Amino acid sequence: MYSDAVTRHALDLSRAGSAGEHAVHGEAGDAVCGDQLRIEIAIERGRIVRARHRSFACPHATAAAALACRLTEGSELLDAACIGASRLDQELGPGPHNRECVALAADALHAAIARGLEGEALDVDPHRIAVAMSGGVDSAVALLKAVEAGLRPVGVTLRLWIDPLASDSERACCSPQSVRAARSACHAAGVPHVTLDLRGRFRDQIVEPFVRDHAAGRTPNPCVRCNGSFRFDALAGFADRIGAERIATGHYARVVEREGRHLIARGADPDKDQSYMLARVPEQIVRRVWFPLGDQCKQLTRRQAGAAGLAAANRAESQEVCFVGGGDHRSFVERHGGAGRAGAIVSVDGRELGRHDGVHRFTPGQRRGLNVGGGAALFVVSTDAATGTVVAGPRAALARREVRVSPGQLLVPIERVQAKLRYRSPAMAASVRIERDGFVLDLDEPAYGVAPGQAAVLYDGDTVVGAGLIAL
Amino acid sequence: MAYLDHAATSPLCIEAREAMAPYLEQRFGNASEPHAYGREARAGLEGARDTVAALLGCRPQQLVFTSGGSEADNQAVFGLTGRPLGRMVLSTIEHSAVLAPARELERQGFELGWAPVTRDGVVDVAAFAELVRPGDRLAAAMWANNVTGAVQPIAELAAICADREVPLHVDAVQAAASLQLDFAACGAETLALSAHKMHGPKGVGALVARDPARIRPLIWGGGQEGGLRSGTENVAGIVGFAAALTAMRSRGDHRRELRDRMEAALPEFAAVSAGVERLPGHSLLQVPGIRADLLVLALDRAGYAVSAGSACASGDSEPSHVLIAQGMAAADARSVVRVSIGVDSTVADVDGFCAALRECVDRLRSGALI
Repeated sequence: MYSDAVTRHALDLSRAGSAGEHAVHGEAGDAVCGDQLRIEIAIERGRIVRARHRSFACPHATAAAALACRLTEGSELLDAACIGASRLDQELGPGPHNRECVALAADALHAAIARGLEGEALDVDPHRIAVAMSGGVDSAVALLKAVEAGLRPVGVTLRLWIDPLASDSERACCSPQSVRAARSACHAAGVPHVTLDLRGRFRDQIVEPFVRDHAAGRTPNPCVRCNGSFRFDALAGFADRIGAERIATGHYARVVEREGRHLIARGADPDKDQSYMLARVPEQIVRRVWFPLGDQCKQLTRRQAGAAGLAAANRAESQEVCFVGGGDHRSFVERHGGAGRAGAIVSVDGRELGRHDGVHRFTPGQRRGLNVGGGAALFVVSTDAATGTVVAGPRAALARREVRVSPGQLLVPIERVQAKLRYRSPAMAASVRIERDGFVLDLDEPAYGVAPGQAAVLYDGDTVVGAGLIAL
Repeated sequence: MAYLDHAATSPLCIEAREAMAPYLEQRFGNASEPHAYGREARAGLEGARDTVAALLGCRPQQLVFTSGGSEADNQAVFGLTGRPLGRMVLSTIEHSAVLAPARELERQGFELGWAPVTRDGVVDVAAFAELVRPGDRLAAAMWANNVTGAVQPIAELAAICADREVPLHVDAVQAAASLQLDFAACGAETLALSAHKMHGPKGVGALVARDPARIRPLIWGGGQEGGLRSGTENVAGIVGFAAALTAMRSRGDHRRELRDRMEAALPEFAAVSAGVERLPGHSLLQVPGIRADLLVLALDRAGYAVSAGSACASGDSEPSHVLIAQGMAAADARSVVRVSIGVDSTVADVDGFCAALRECVDRLRSGALI
């Protein structure tokens, strides 16, 4: 049964139809209940001058769409972005199935607002700050800190990917649930929220190169690439459009100034430090970034979230590579057509030790999956995608002292560094010299399992002073 | 203002109300007591039983009064199956009062055989004949469907069941308000009925059983209704049931004329199952692109009470399983309104409804996505 408000708004056709030729639209649908909603908004100078809805949806969802149009018509875009499911619920009252219905209307409205903002350049507001929201606890606390600092935050969630085949796609950071969680975290704080749908570009620029790299026998780090050339670009572009100078994220990292330059530095929590993942963010963006959690540990973040009563306080951690899902990048690569050749497993001196069914399943230093029993423990030494050959040898065969990084960049003149060659490996002392479009590392002690395609990140103390891709 | 949702429920007729009144007042006795009050109630109860039995073509001993159609369906399905585990065949368009008990049997280990329907929503007799096997514990088919109104070939289905010695339960809840049912002639093992669909009171129905001794009770207690349905009898309700059934059988009936008039006036809205025999007042109109649940609200505001399909899962946007079973796409199944005309409905009701439907659809069209 429907509340009087639901019936009234569902049958209010005063804003039914189209908002005109120049309007932008957002759509949302639910395959299970068959509901489909479309909201169109016509914008003049950052203000919604007309909002219209059409639907094939239950009365509750239809009412929510009509109400969303009524509430946002005449508003500034960013004020309209403060309206979400909770505001609509307030007016419509609870219903047996209302959560999803109302969320659909909010999804459609927000998709339209995001499109509308694409064409806008709002006036600069020195107190405005774009806060990247994932739906998790870290970004929720980062937002809290931005509010506490007296800034006027605008939450932004990048919708990058959804892989319905991944085992935990619902929990992944870009799932519709996460977007809604991010939106409601903002709205609970009275902050506007915008979702940018970048799925097409993300697939082209991050996912497909990741799959291709694997197929070519490299071991890419998509997070370093994404942060370095995709995510922060998108955030900065968004900040520009909404007239915000600064950008905040919930990463555990810091920004330090050194000789007039703004550099990424390690976060205070050694277990959560994400400076490696951020090493390739361009400096012109780094100088705009604030990491509110950089000086604190994760435990404190959780305590602060709990104390503030944030819904995200107990949300599970998202996984490291957001789009792979389920933690198994091998099956991801196979699902997306990046399976490498099957071939021989040979010893360092060329003897065939066995067979394998796909070269993308192997990375230097790997021990599991070789299945060539007997004798001393064997490790993957190298792979050759062209022939499908995997070379296996004893640990000693993995030892490398010289690591070539290309492309790569030193951010300050330096000769001695601590080099991190994988996200989860400790940094190693090395000398560095510039060579062509990158640099060469001479490690003090040999490294084992250096993988082409991974990021090499150079530290001086806690400060990131260089980064690039390992070429060998 | 007009009520055109008689398939959901119907108003209590004056005959039923007058027959019931004394049993709600001075004749309030418990029919199991031997004193004057009890005897008076017992007389009313047994008189009603004789009346209903005569009208339905069964013996009074074959009639078990229940709390309504759903209880009668549950009583038949569970009462004729149970242990040991076995197989049950049912049509895909059964009412949830049969479907849900069958699903429960399945959960307990029963095998279910689903008898398909044609695109017109009529049980496919040949497929049913293939499906029903000797040894099956039960078959179930409704006499007329509550969503489309399509009348089912019960005599043929019963003959198939008789041939294989499988008992057939027939849910006649929707049919009984319109068709002259004859239990003895129809060949069913059990028949479920409900009073409120035929202008009787809510909360009373009946299960007719060829051999009540075969049925295991659902409700245990004082042993009323021959031990099949314990609980102090709802004498007023049962008397009202008998009075309503009697009244319905003697009443002039213009439902078919009114229904046909309406459908002729609304050629743009095709009726589902129009190609087969339907209950006379029943029409399921297709309104492509418009959500039925919204249209029902709009028509309500315009003063017309109709249904989005069936009243069983109100507030639920699930498309009717009946329409899905007869091959309709989910979106189309969400775009139907059920009009069910009653014996008291008038030409003005129907003509007014036609105008209101047109106007509502035109208005809603501006907000429609498709």
